[in-house]
Amino acid sequence: MKIESTFKIKKGLAEMLKGGVIMDVVNAEQAVIAEKSGAVAVMALERIPADIRAEGGVARMSSVETIQEVIDSVSIPVMAKARIGHFVEAQMLESLGIDFIDESEVLTPADDKNHIYKHDIKTPFVNGATDIGEACRRIGEGAAMIRTKGEAGTGNVIEAVKHMRSMTDGINKIKTSDQNELMSLAKEIKAPFDVVKEIHELGKLPVVNFAAGGIATPADAALMMQLGCDGVFVGSGIFKSGDPKERAEAIVIATTNYNDPEKLIEVSKNLGEPMVGINIDDLDEAEKLAKRGW
Amino acid sequence: MKTGVLALQGSFYDHVQSLELIDLDYVLIKDTSDLSNVNSLILPGGESTSMIKIQENNDLFSGLKKLIESGIPTLGTCAGLILLAKDVIDGETSLGVLNTVVERNAYGRQNQSFEGLVNLLGNKEMYCFIRAPKILSYEDSVTPIATIDNEVVGVIENNIVGLSFHPELTNDKVYLDWLSNFLKDGVNVRSL
Repeated sequence: MKIESTFKIKKGLAEMLKGGVIMDVVNAEQAVIAEKSGAVAVMALERIPADIRAEGGVARMSSVETIQEVIDSVSIPVMAKARIGHFVEAQMLESLGIDFIDESEVLTPADDKNHIYKHDIKTPFVNGATDIGEACRRIGEGAAMIRTKGEAGTGNVIEAVKHMRSMTDGINKIKTSDQNELMSLAKEIKAPFDVVKEIHELGKLPVVNFAAGGIATPADAALMMQLGCDGVFVGSGIFKSGDPKERAEAIVIATTNYNDPEKLIEVSKNLGEPMVGINIDDLDEAEKLAKRGW
Repeated sequence: MKTGVLALQGSFYDHVQSLELIDLDYVLIKDTSDLSNVNSLILPGGESTSMIKIQENNDLFSGLKKLIESGIPTLGTCAGLILLAKDVIDGETSLGVLNTVVERNAYGRQNQSFEGLVNLLGNKEMYCFIRAPKILSYEDSVTPIATIDNEVVGVIENNIVGLSFHPELTNDKVYLDWLSNFLKDGVNVRSL
């Protein structure tokens, strides 16, 4: 007897990615560099976040050709982004055989109120969240993995730190609440009661939680791991830097050895130029991608 | 007495949880220096390509290989099985201590991943197969210990056990009892 795509199986793949680095790639060539550098998975997208930010316009799911090319070029799991609420892009990614779908605020949202109902799609989903309420809503819709939103394409880790701390606070609040308080708490954070109850019982999120949005150096990756993330996504940080291969390898080693400053020093040497960063205060409110999603 | 859990990447904390349930001490292995005082080993699921790359800079696997060849009970699940196998199709051979040929991702991509009813040492339980490797063949010195629909998904050779699936995500009593016996005294388990 075999049953495909149960929630346990969806969550299970995320469990296997823990302690690893997932890298944004826009073509097969970058995907191969990522795999050779030790990435646990690659994320196929049309343009990396820093370019989406610079060029503007509507950002959509990658072209079918690019996704196919990336799938054919590597043996590690391939993820791809769909627009928030764009369930047809998700259905197409499912049919293309993608291993994980990121319903991502980095792309231009397709629905101003609703996210995708993810339980109906065989492929597991990862969703961004800025706090515990948002994480619970996404899990309620069927997300099998959560990541901080951070502020993609900035090379600035402050928002990812903010979101991770806020998530940890939220989990602690649920964990330490009396069970009589859970419904009121669920109402306050606008979260489905069942998910809140599950977090209360487990003492942690029921799915894996990665860091994303603004991670640019090995030290950034180690910081997020020490703050309690299960692994990291690196977007623009690698292929917008001076020496992508060196930097990718360094971030992978740093994510494993996040508690070992000597190893962090060793891998941080001779990395070339990091990506140029952006101060969050220099962004208009409308330019903040983390505000997308509801 | 400690069980070393390879902790380069992957589901190593799930194995730690199993060890906590059976009251065994453990140490996370990230570096050659973590290998002292280890007398049994677990290699977890994850991405084998990533693990192989991460250990390169301190050559952890040559120390690990010596330790396994010294005869200590060693369990590999999913990617752990790939690391142990002598031959890997669509992937790299690394430790090469288990006389089997395995093929990476041979059951298909994530959409074909499944929970399946496995006969493990005579007991049937649902276990997770996640982009799992397939055991294509094995030598005479290797004995099957787990099957699904008559296909071999788990083997033992001397002190080494390799499983295609993830018992650590289920932690049923039969598995935990077996694990406890195996890690404490691999020899008794072999006679099963």
